[in-house]
Amino acid sequence: MNSVQSAAPDLRIAYVLDPRFPGGTSSAVAAELEVVSTMAQVQVFGLETDMFSGQRVAPQLSNTLLRLNIPFHWASGDIAADIVIFHNPSCLKFQDSLGVTILARNLVVVTHENFLRPGGAEAFDVAKCLDQIAAASVTLDRRIAPISAWNRSTVTGWDAANRLGAGWSLLDTDWFNICAFDMIPPTSSPRDRRGRHSRPGLEKFPQRDVLEMCFPQTAAINTILGADSLMQADDLPSHWSVHPFGGLTLQQYFDEIDFLVYYTAPTWRESFGRVIAEAVAAGKIAITDPETARTFEGAAISAAPEEIDQIIANYIAAPDRYRADVLSGQQKLARFSAAAFKSRMGNFLTGCAGVTP
Amino acid sequence: MILLCCGQISAKHFDALLLLGLQLDKSGHPVAIDDRFLPENVTKQNKYEMAPFLADFADIAPKSVVLIGAETISTEVQTILGTMHLGEDIPIWVLGQFSQHQDAISARNKIAYATGREPKLLDLSSPQRPSLMEGAIAPQFTEIGDSPSQAEGKAVRVLVYIPCEDIKEQDTTLSDLCVVNYSPNIHLQILTNSKGKDLIRRSRHGSLSVFSYAELPPTELLHYFDVLVFLGTNVPGERMAALALDAMGAGKVVIDCTTSSGFSAVGAPVLKGPEHVAALPGYLQETVSQNRMEIGRRTQQSAWLHPFDITGLERELQLERPAALEPASDPHTVFFPTNGNGMGHAQRCALIGEAMQTEHARRFVAFPSCVEMLRNRGFSCVPMVPRSADHSVEYAADLVNYLRLRSTLRPGDQLVFDGGYVFDSVYRLISRLQNPAVWIRRGLWRPGQINPIALERERAFSKVIVPTEAFAELNTDYSSGDHIHKVGPIVQQKEIAPEQSQNLRERLSAQFERKIDTLVVTMLGGGVASERTAQTQFLCSLLERRVNCLHLVVAWPNAVVPSGLYGWHNSRVIHTERTLDLCQAADLTISATGYNSFHELIYAQVPAILIPQSAPYLDDQERRARAAFERGLAGFVQEVELMSLEREVTAFLDNGKSDVVRQALRAVTLPEPGNHAAAKLIEQGSVR
Repeated sequence: MNSVQSAAPDLRIAYVLDPRFPGGTSSAVAAELEVVSTMAQVQVFGLETDMFSGQRVAPQLSNTLLRLNIPFHWASGDIAADIVIFHNPSCLKFQDSLGVTILARNLVVVTHENFLRPGGAEAFDVAKCLDQIAAASVTLDRRIAPISAWNRSTVTGWDAANRLGAGWSLLDTDWFNICAFDMIPPTSSPRDRRGRHSRPGLEKFPQRDVLEMCFPQTAAINTILGADSLMQADDLPSHWSVHPFGGLTLQQYFDEIDFLVYYTAPTWRESFGRVIAEAVAAGKIAITDPETARTFEGAAISAAPEEIDQIIANYIAAPDRYRADVLSGQQKLARFSAAAFKSRMGNFLTGCAGVTP
Repeated sequence: MILLCCGQISAKHFDALLLLGLQLDKSGHPVAIDDRFLPENVTKQNKYEMAPFLADFADIAPKSVVLIGAETISTEVQTILGTMHLGEDIPIWVLGQFSQHQDAISARNKIAYATGREPKLLDLSSPQRPSLMEGAIAPQFTEIGDSPSQAEGKAVRVLVYIPCEDIKEQDTTLSDLCVVNYSPNIHLQILTNSKGKDLIRRSRHGSLSVFSYAELPPTELLHYFDVLVFLGTNVPGERMAALALDAMGAGKVVIDCTTSSGFSAVGAPVLKGPEHVAALPGYLQETVSQNRMEIGRRTQQSAWLHPFDITGLERELQLERPAALEPASDPHTVFFPTNGNGMGHAQRCALIGEAMQTEHARRFVAFPSCVEMLRNRGFSCVPMVPRSADHSVEYAADLVNYLRLRSTLRPGDQLVFDGGYVFDSVYRLISRLQNPAVWIRRGLWRPGQINPIALERERAFSKVIVPTEAFAELNTDYSSGDHIHKVGPIVQQKEIAPEQSQNLRERLSAQFERKIDTLVVTMLGGGVASERTAQTQFLCSLLERRVNCLHLVVAWPNAVVPSGLYGWHNSRVIHTERTLDLCQAADLTISATGYNSFHELIYAQVPAILIPQSAPYLDDQERRARAAFERGLAGFVQEVELMSLEREVTAFLDNGKSDVVRQALRAVTLPEPGNHAAAKLIEQGSVR
């Protein structure tokens, strides 16, 4: 550990990513840059992939780069560093060539998207994306870093069926999203005020019958933020308060709810589930499906949609338990803190340096 | 029921959806299209094509869902799919040109996210699947027959596709092509877009048989040719590619004269035709005509064609084809008289129907004004929807009627249409079913009505029966051919004996509680085509002065009856189907000169004053009236000559003109009525 810290000023780490990725991925990378920039010389290389053609750089990322004074380059030619961290390879799925060359001792590819969907269907053309990176990189070591247990299982599942190919190996530990949120105390008098927030993609929403179960007429408030697709329907229940993505600030949204009820399409699953951590940090009880809840190891309530009403009723009847469980969840989020990430990063860098910790 | 969907809501995608629907429907698969996939602007032709398939999702129970154009699936479409809540047992098939593996994954993901279900994918761009046209949205397939479906005999029906851009007045393309039409064994027809069709109509080749390619779907166009020739630069779009494939499957001859050899370049079993149109007539006559059956046979056996066989698609999509509907063992004859302005068309059909000797049923589809009359005469009748100014488009009623006709006619039934203008519903239905179809087309058209457009739909009928006029100078040939059959006037003949007439007058006397010395019947029409209130009121006023006079004003079922007619003592408005009885019992009849009324009066030797109706869409009633007048068989008064009308009424009632006319009518020799001849022609059915 000490050897890495003393060597940090000379260690060059290059981040390669498409900086226009909206939502949680860019937030996660921004938080990561805060940490890693204290450990090494960091540069960020932006890819202009076909996936985000015509979109703007995510503001959370550009603000962080500006604030930390981290050099940013639109990628072209060679990217040379001791370690290259490539975030979200799925951004390459609509193109055939990376367009740059990566020269590094170690290359880490952080898989923000699951390789497989629930049921086993391939989530994107994984081989096409990884092959572009492999073909464009000269490295001693090329690893895939899943960001959660579920995400890891999709990588290993894909590998079992398709083979990652020579030169790729899997990082032993998960490259989790940093959840560096302010912890807000929970309310002492929870009510049946439910909500969910996400990007508006259809994959983020369960089927209508499940959604109606999540947000029933009996709830005092049902706030759905990021409901752009949903709002196209002409038969929305009148007891739903729907808002487009960005239609409320997170503060406004969290002020309206006491429970996050978050389910996705059964054919899709969050790779990490930053939305869950956000809600817990905001002092809410988060209820979600078992696999998504698993990432947070007790910080979120795992339930089937049919169980939601009873769970919420029980919490309303026992405000102390509500409060205790939220605080407990917030404590559990510490394992996704910046400090935890820094420690894990230190171990990783030590490993890269060939030092056994 | 297969529910058809597409990846985008656009005119192009919807057209592809219709194409798929039509082809599956032709093979007997029940299909539906969710009406939420309708694009904003839908053409009239599309509306006819989609009408049988369009459905509210809540009303259908699909067994499978087939989505085409899946390479680009819009959020709007995803949202629609998300509302369907399809059962787990209903497969969702996603068809697209997935040139990249990621394209297939994206399509699969979008459907999976929207429906919560995993769809099944069919990649239309896979190397094992040959393609006639790159970028087609609908799957390309056809039904490959066992033997060529071509007309027997020497005559060859040739359909030539010409892009609109190649049709120019000064250009020789059309003229060169028309050379072929001089051959007695080749019947040339042109296929182009509606603009091109209009150009041809206005050119010196205006009498050519021309189809616009949206006029009928490929599945129906197919029945009109043996040889299909493509001019232009390349395969001209998805519809024409489908037509070409269907032609190959049906064992017809497809000739590729495109400058890029678009059909032959992909290996399709087509003949590479001459590059210059001027050489085409010779090529058709010398090379193709003699060998067309053998060429068709070899086309159907082509190894290239077989991957397009519908059975392959059915296997891939696990579509179970329902048993084919066999032609009815008891073929019915279904009469469809147009609505017109009176009941003439329905009356004529009823007369023919009554003259038929067949054991098989004769049924009617008819407009409401005629339904009661037809049912009273013992015919079953499905009511059709009349046009209304309240409809959003003028063909709205015909669209509904198209669906009614589709559900009324069974394979093998014979349709007999009586009317001047062949409705789209009729044209499309007989093009689709290929049932025997007869057009009863009376003549005496006005000069402006005689044009190729009015006659072009004759090609859909296997027979045209022309009921002639009683007087030779009124008969004109508008078209010719073996399918044209002239028959004598179709007329109701019902002579009542003098004592019956007297009996009728007595009953009228009792009914109207008055002594009747003078009985006058007026039937000047329904008031729709020609306004006759002034003439009728004038007659009421004339006859009001007479003692012991009863003036009966016959109102047709759809007539507009002015309230002023109800104020007279001697005149009464009546609704009756027994006009001929009344006219024969009357001292005088004042009548319009529609085909039926005119011939009934003449053949029943009823003295009458004729006041023809006049409207651009009516037959030339004045010529008909004059023909009788000039022979001394009737009085004749122009609509504006009220003083003449008074003189004529006086002449007939008071000065013995009725007797003179009656004598002349007895002396004249009239043609044999054509009721039985027409009935016999229909009974014979027809073989195309």
